[in-house]
Amino acid sequence: MSLLKVNNLKVHYPIRGGFFRTVKDHVRAVDGVSFELDKGETYGLVGESGCGKTTTGRAIIGLNSVTEGEIIFEGEDLVSLKHRDRRKYIQDIQMVFQDPYSSLNSRKNVLNIIAEPLRNFERLSPTEELLRVQELVERVGLTPESIYKYPHQFSGGQRQRIGIARALTLNPKLIIADEPVSALDVSVQAQVLNFMQDIQEEFDLTYLFISHDLGIVRHMSDRLGIMHNGRLVEEGTRDDIFENAQHPYTKRLLAAIPEMEPEKRIDKKVLREEVNRLYREQHDAYYSEDGRVYDLQSLTETHSVALQGGAKQ
Amino acid sequence: MIQFILRRSLVMIPQLILLSIIVFFLASAMPGDAVTGAFQNNPNVSPEQEEKIREKFGLNDPWYQQYGRWVSKALQGDLGMSYTHKQPVTVLLKDRLSNTLLLAGVTLLVTYLIAIPLGIIAGRWQDSWADKLIVTYNYVSFATPMFVFALLMLFVFSFQLGWFPIGGSVDIRAEGGTFDYYISKVKHLVLPVLSGALLMTYSTIQYLRNDIIDTKFKDFVKTARAKGVPENHVYTRHILRNSLLPIASFLGYEITGLIGGSIFIETIFSYPGLGQLFLNSIMLRDFQVVTALVMISGAAVIVGTMLSDIILSIVDPRIRID
Amino acid sequence: MKELEQQLLEEKRELMAREKKNNPSFLKVVWREIKSDKVAFISFILLIIILMTAYISPLFIDEASVKRVDPFNIYNSPSADNWLGTDDGGRDVFGQLMLGARNSFTIGIAVTLLAAIYGLTVGLIAGYYGGIVDNIIMRIIDFLMVLPSLMFIIVFVVIVPNYSVASFIFIMSLFSWFGKARLIRSKGLAERELDYINASKTLGTPDWKIMLFEMFPNLSSLVIVNMTLTLAGNIGLETGLTFLGFGLPTGTPSLGTLIALAKNPDVISTKWWVWLPAALLILVMMLSINYVGQAVKRASDARQRLA
Repeated sequence: MSLLKVNNLKVHYPIRGGFFRTVKDHVRAVDGVSFELDKGETYGLVGESGCGKTTTGRAIIGLNSVTEGEIIFEGEDLVSLKHRDRRKYIQDIQMVFQDPYSSLNSRKNVLNIIAEPLRNFERLSPTEELLRVQELVERVGLTPESIYKYPHQFSGGQRQRIGIARALTLNPKLIIADEPVSALDVSVQAQVLNFMQDIQEEFDLTYLFISHDLGIVRHMSDRLGIMHNGRLVEEGTRDDIFENAQHPYTKRLLAAIPEMEPEKRIDKKVLREEVNRLYREQHDAYYSEDGRVYDLQSLTETHSVALQGGAKQ
Repeated sequence: MIQFILRRSLVMIPQLILLSIIVFFLASAMPGDAVTGAFQNNPNVSPEQEEKIREKFGLNDPWYQQYGRWVSKALQGDLGMSYTHKQPVTVLLKDRLSNTLLLAGVTLLVTYLIAIPLGIIAGRWQDSWADKLIVTYNYVSFATPMFVFALLMLFVFSFQLGWFPIGGSVDIRAEGGTFDYYISKVKHLVLPVLSGALLMTYSTIQYLRNDIIDTKFKDFVKTARAKGVPENHVYTRHILRNSLLPIASFLGYEITGLIGGSIFIETIFSYPGLGQLFLNSIMLRDFQVVTALVMISGAAVIVGTMLSDIILSIVDPRIRID
Repeated sequence: MKELEQQLLEEKRELMAREKKNNPSFLKVVWREIKSDKVAFISFILLIIILMTAYISPLFIDEASVKRVDPFNIYNSPSADNWLGTDDGGRDVFGQLMLGARNSFTIGIAVTLLAAIYGLTVGLIAGYYGGIVDNIIMRIIDFLMVLPSLMFIIVFVVIVPNYSVASFIFIMSLFSWFGKARLIRSKGLAERELDYINASKTLGTPDWKIMLFEMFPNLSSLVIVNMTLTLAGNIGLETGLTFLGFGLPTGTPSLGTLIALAKNPDVISTKWWVWLPAALLILVMMLSINYVGQAVKRASDARQRLA
């Protein structure tokens, strides 16, 4: 059984207008997304900004309200749970936020930041608490005296480690990492990513890794889903997507990865133009008249792609 | 645009209704009613007779019926009888209203006449000695309570120096319509107006100074300068055009200040206006008058705030996106 | 284990001490700011002197004798016995001035604190929840703000049964929290978009704890600035209402009580010692509080600091 199963998830926001501010239409931020996460794997959710990937993550953890659909975690549908019953799953699902600056309360020292979840769920004596926090702080690679420092005394990478330590405090099963390194310097990104991979085994974690950066996702994920306009356009294992992309939008994204070797840059440019042309030509086969992405159709056991009526290419 | 004005005007209706309900309940919480007031100290009317009259005028009906009657009467211009003055409240309000409107209108005008030039000077020549002086004046005027200031003005200019009359709205010996009459009116206005206006300049000066300093360094102003527009033109054509209009939007806020201020100012300068009437009536427990005055003042602020919102929406289209 | 705990504790103390030095508290920054602004510094000293005198001298003043009417010594001019003369009841003006300053300041503080509690509660709730909750609360506040509050306070003072100092404080505070709630709400709305609030939600912290222990500390300097500035306003309002005769009940002297005697033309023109000292004392107190308040305001915003 999968750890998390998201079923036809929809998050809509009303658009109000007119004289009486009635609901005129909806912004379909997430419009029917389904995917599954197996225990211990890393699932990458990729797409351009505004495609709904962050909204999906936030809906799973309960920061956004769900318009329709199911979020089944260990067999229990979180959407239908009452606020109070949902609380017990808080310990199992945690989040690492994108911005290491705004996600830590600047008025609190590290001890108080990391101990916050402990104080909500466990009754520990101050000494026990201190020991637990110290252990975590050291595990994420910070010096022990950091626990009395304030967030502004750390670099971005260190702050993100504090954020990770905080997410780990309750021994969660699933961590939703929302662009965890996109606010960091490239030089620090790898450190944090490798660290996340290290603790994955150690703490038996499952990751939902949300990113716009295909390079990073390739490095991190076992399987991934590509989102566009609030829907999945393609889903598959890392190889399915990177070696055998089917959807023109996926191809476009792949073509947009910058080329490091200068001599290949011209080739890349030609490729990019070619992909763009394909995207325009095949647009109608992959998008309905009003621009909506079709439902996913399986190509192989692991690989599926959104296209009209499931017709193979 | 029209949609915004309409919607904003519609908001006013529940506000007015809510205000009238609150005022109505306050009125019923006030000790005594129209009947006790009217027959107070009248030994010829027994409590039984009073009760009968109450029944006749519907004072024993449920509140919503009484409220409905009160509102419909008020809409027809009947605000009840003042028992101390033995005349309809509307008649009582009439003379005082013109006095208060004159005082408030002139105070507002003088406030702007002082505040706008000072705000512009402070903003344009930021950190100059003039600016420092104006900023100090602003601190002091913000901190000074109006009644203390008005008393000091009265003490210095009327009692010590004898430049101005010590109270009233016009010399009783002056004949209506003559030149002396108007001169006397102006003389009686000077101190009350200055006491209010000198302290009310605070928000306008503060706003203008900050806004001009802000605008001064914006790109479109820099562009104008770079094109060689003379400095004076930069201010009149580019900066002030943006900074002056929003002042009109403080109108609602100023009206609240004027109403509060008029209570102090009119008491101190024995100026026969609505503020003085309010205090006298409440001291004499003449609650029909009090109720009418609270209702009118509340309505004035509600309408004033609506007007300033509309003015602001014309000046600044961004706030229309509600 | 014991040893380890001991060691940990010591380490903790040492590190806390060092970190404290690195992170000066808001009060320290305020003090630095006051010291570097001459006018604010003088205001601060002046305020301390006035308040010390006002709070300490009543210990040496026999309140009953200050309040006792003495028909043979009405409107005496200042003398060695009565430093500031006597009033319409032959009572010592200086004694009343001190009692009045103490009462006015205490009531100003009480009203400010009460109003801050209302404003904080409403503002935090509106700012934290946002959306429809915020919408409803703001509609109500918009309405309350357009009420002519001075008139309402006076009407309440008249119709409240068993009128006392406590009910006066309550009535005043009832009409002085709207602006504060609005201020806190607008800052709160900005804070709630920040991820540390979201993080607290995902960590299972209850809403009230997030409001109080996460959001509030980030707004606290704003609240302190607002409170110092409204403190002056509240003292002005209290003395003004007492001046009009709708403030403190008779028997509780306020600075406004003495000034109210100036409504008599004879007193204002010839018996300056009765009302002028109280008027000037209010002026000095208000100016001092405001200058200190401005320094506090600068301290709360790093860009404006002088120090």
